[in-house]
Amino acid sequence: MKTAVKPPGSDTARPTDGARPAHRLPFWVNQQLGLLVLIVVLAAVFGTLRPAFFNERLVLFPLLRDVSTLTVVALAQMVVLSIGHMNLAVGRMAAFGAFFAGFGYDRLGLPLVLGLVLCLVAGAAVGALTGWIIARTGVNSFVVTLAMDFALLGLVPLLYSACTENAAFTTRPAGLAELRSSSLADICLGPVCGSPAVPQVAQFTVLALAGLAFLYYRTRTGRELLLTGANPAAAELSGIPTGRRVVLAHALSGTLAALAGFMAAVGTGTFRASIGDDFMLPSFLGAVLGGTLLTGGAVSVVGALLGTTLVGVIRKGLDLLGVGLESLNIYLGCVLLLALSADRVRTVVSYRKVVRST
Amino acid sequence: MSDVLLECDSIVKVFPGVRALDGVGLTMTAGSVHALLGENGAGKSTLIKVITGVHTPDDGRLLRRGEEIHLRSPLDATRAGIGVVHQERNLIPGFSVAENITLQNPPSRRGLVDRDAMTAPAERCLAELGLDLDPHRPVRELSVAQQQLVEIAKALYTESQVLLLDEPTASLSPQEAEHLFDVVRRLKERGTCVVFVSHKLEEVFAICDTVTVLRDGRSVLESAPLSDYVQDDVVTLMVGRQHSVTDMTPRTVDPTARPALSLSGLNTAAGHRDVSLDIRPGEIVGLYGLVGAGRSELVKAVLGLDRVTGGEIRVDGEPARIRSPREALHTYGIGYLTENRKEEGVFLEQPIVRNITVTVWKKLARFLGDISSRAEKDVAQDLVDRLGIRVSGLAQNAGELSGGNQQKVSLAKWLAAETRLLVVDEPTVGVDVRTKHAFHELIWELARGGLPILLISSDLTEMITLADRVLVMADHRIRGEVPNDHDYDNMSGQIIRIIHDRAHPAAAASNGTP
Ligand SMILES: Nc1ncnc2c1ncn2[C@@H]1O[C@H](COP(=O)(O)OP(=O)(O)OP(=O)(O)O)[C@@H](O)[C@H]1O
Ligand SMILES: [Mg+2]
Repeated sequence: MKTAVKPPGSDTARPTDGARPAHRLPFWVNQQLGLLVLIVVLAAVFGTLRPAFFNERLVLFPLLRDVSTLTVVALAQMVVLSIGHMNLAVGRMAAFGAFFAGFGYDRLGLPLVLGLVLCLVAGAAVGALTGWIIARTGVNSFVVTLAMDFALLGLVPLLYSACTENAAFTTRPAGLAELRSSSLADICLGPVCGSPAVPQVAQFTVLALAGLAFLYYRTRTGRELLLTGANPAAAELSGIPTGRRVVLAHALSGTLAALAGFMAAVGTGTFRASIGDDFMLPSFLGAVLGGTLLTGGAVSVVGALLGTTLVGVIRKGLDLLGVGLESLNIYLGCVLLLALSADRVRTVVSYRKVVRST
Repeated sequence: MSDVLLECDSIVKVFPGVRALDGVGLTMTAGSVHALLGENGAGKSTLIKVITGVHTPDDGRLLRRGEEIHLRSPLDATRAGIGVVHQERNLIPGFSVAENITLQNPPSRRGLVDRDAMTAPAERCLAELGLDLDPHRPVRELSVAQQQLVEIAKALYTESQVLLLDEPTASLSPQEAEHLFDVVRRLKERGTCVVFVSHKLEEVFAICDTVTVLRDGRSVLESAPLSDYVQDDVVTLMVGRQHSVTDMTPRTVDPTARPALSLSGLNTAAGHRDVSLDIRPGEIVGLYGLVGAGRSELVKAVLGLDRVTGGEIRVDGEPARIRSPREALHTYGIGYLTENRKEEGVFLEQPIVRNITVTVWKKLARFLGDISSRAEKDVAQDLVDRLGIRVSGLAQNAGELSGGNQQKVSLAKWLAAETRLLVVDEPTVGVDVRTKHAFHELIWELARGGLPILLISSDLTEMITLADRVLVMADHRIRGEVPNDHDYDNMSGQIIRIIHDRAHPAAAASNGTP
């Protein structure tokens, strides 16, 4: 069987009170580190095969813009996953939020920032409503968000056709075009300018990442969200207002979805109903690849970024290699499966190693 | 003593940081009841899990009638004639009692599960345990003790040659446990080997004939006849040194003090009628009753988890409307140590720090709601030390601790909160002798320091050790009150008389109505 270890002098008395040494799994079992390595390796491979992969303006800039948006989408999913729920309406909430931004610019003549605020408020409101329904009725989040998805699927195009002629807002407030195309290269500190590969919309992603990292790793509310996800009954009995935490998580999810919708609209330049149509799968993919549990109670904020980046890099690389759309998805599936099983293998191997040294 | 059914030979099981089993042997002979004893974390449950195919041993052999066997899954073990009741509940809440009992081998007709054929065997198993339960009720609606009995019935249904019972009596009252012992004795006559884990040594000495004692993953006594030992010897073997019980400093309660919590004529949606009780500062009030008497439900209603339909709750003399456990904790300073640690007590997949500090985050939070992890660790470490919780680090998940240590973690959270009233529901379920004594001292000292405590327990000895007076509950009503004179025979006689006076007419009445 396994390595049989008989400790030397096995008849000497061992400490009887909790004085056993702490054994932690080694650092390389870290899922995020694994993702990072995978991303770097894949980028190097693609770069070697197609040097154009490292073209800052034509390849990296759009890649990072997509990654920025999809990371926020993954974060929107991660927040609800943290309480053991899911949000099937991320895409439609993004469209809902984006509608209000477009409406603000077109009808109310709002400046760029106020439109964004309106968009976020709309997202938070629809998310909070969803959370409130779940908390009040106790119906599974899957069902409620699915219903919400259908409701918004009908509502958003109705709103657009009521307010616009050709189902899109095209009015662009001052600053929108710059936001769309500018990169760190446009921001200079004296003679040193940033990289033209990093789009300016990435600032929203960085803010969202920093905010959520603070929330989950440092604050009381973040911990309460996690415990609500880990065991709702025990959380309630430990004095956590679980109902309010559910509403909060969904409101946050709605806000982040709306932010992603805004970023997607900035990317294409128009506010239309089809924004967010393809958000749902990436939202789960990024979060789960990054190490967030579907069952609640554990999240990884950086993981959402890395997971999304991995998917983005693979897509872009295969695209450059001239792989057709269908085969691209097959390859993508294989690589993802590999990434997840590699993680499992690492955990098992290291577990054995720690066990052997005990 | 020759017919050996199953034998463990120097079993080793290692978890990260812990050698849970380190060369343990166990011989299971037909027609015997084998006690498996040891302190919390000694490795009893781990051994049982190895025998039932839940864990694969890292070394050692498992012999069935002299032949080596390898169990790859719990199903393999069931097929090999090994039945088990694990320490933690493993029922499917949404399934009915009958479905749960027959789960491992549901009666079927032409490949389809036959629901009607389930009822009869389920009723037979329940009747053996003297349990009058509707087999069609979903398990979710049952109390902890009832679930425990259903779990035992489930093990009886498989009719195994070797039956392993991991703390089956932990949440049962003596009356219910007695039924179980009758069953165990019958099984023994039929030639079954029953392995019995318990921290209640009186029970062990009443029904067991062989004993194995584990300490820190090793056997310090292997398959020895129990009649050669007395309780004190066994305790010394488990603890590793002389264990002496010190008398507790006397405590006095001022009977004129204003009650910290007072219920008067309380009616609830769960069915309580006219419940009145007072708890004064520094007083330990015991609430005793049989399975299903409604003790935990009463507390949950008071904490706002169920509807109070009449009567009045006063906290420190002021009328109170408690809407949630959160309000109970933060506004009224009431803590509730739940009886059901797996479902309601600990967060199994979360680190110990969070499990302990959850009730004090509000106090620790700074301006932005952020919590210094240093402060958090200090609080947790302090309690881990105070209660002697056996952990390999504060970041360890609570689910990896032994049952007794999990219980300590769920108590630690309420001690951290420094509540003004503490409700403890079965505080020493699954806690070993030494720790139980430490728990009792702790509760006693808390009360001596002025903390009012409501003690719910099915352990009569515990009641008589701790409580100042014992309220007896049956059928959701308080049936009587017995001031504690610390004389076991007298007290148990009085309490049982109160229960039986009422239980009989009540049972007859409930049988009359469908
Ligand atoms: N899944 C696991 N991962 C890591 N450690 C574990 C795991 N299961 C058990 N242990 C450790 O193994 C040791 C033995 O635990 P076990 O549950 O067998 O104790 P026990 O004798 O049943 O105690 P109790 O009386 O409290 O139930 C403990 O130190 C425990 O922390
Ligand atoms: Mg155990």
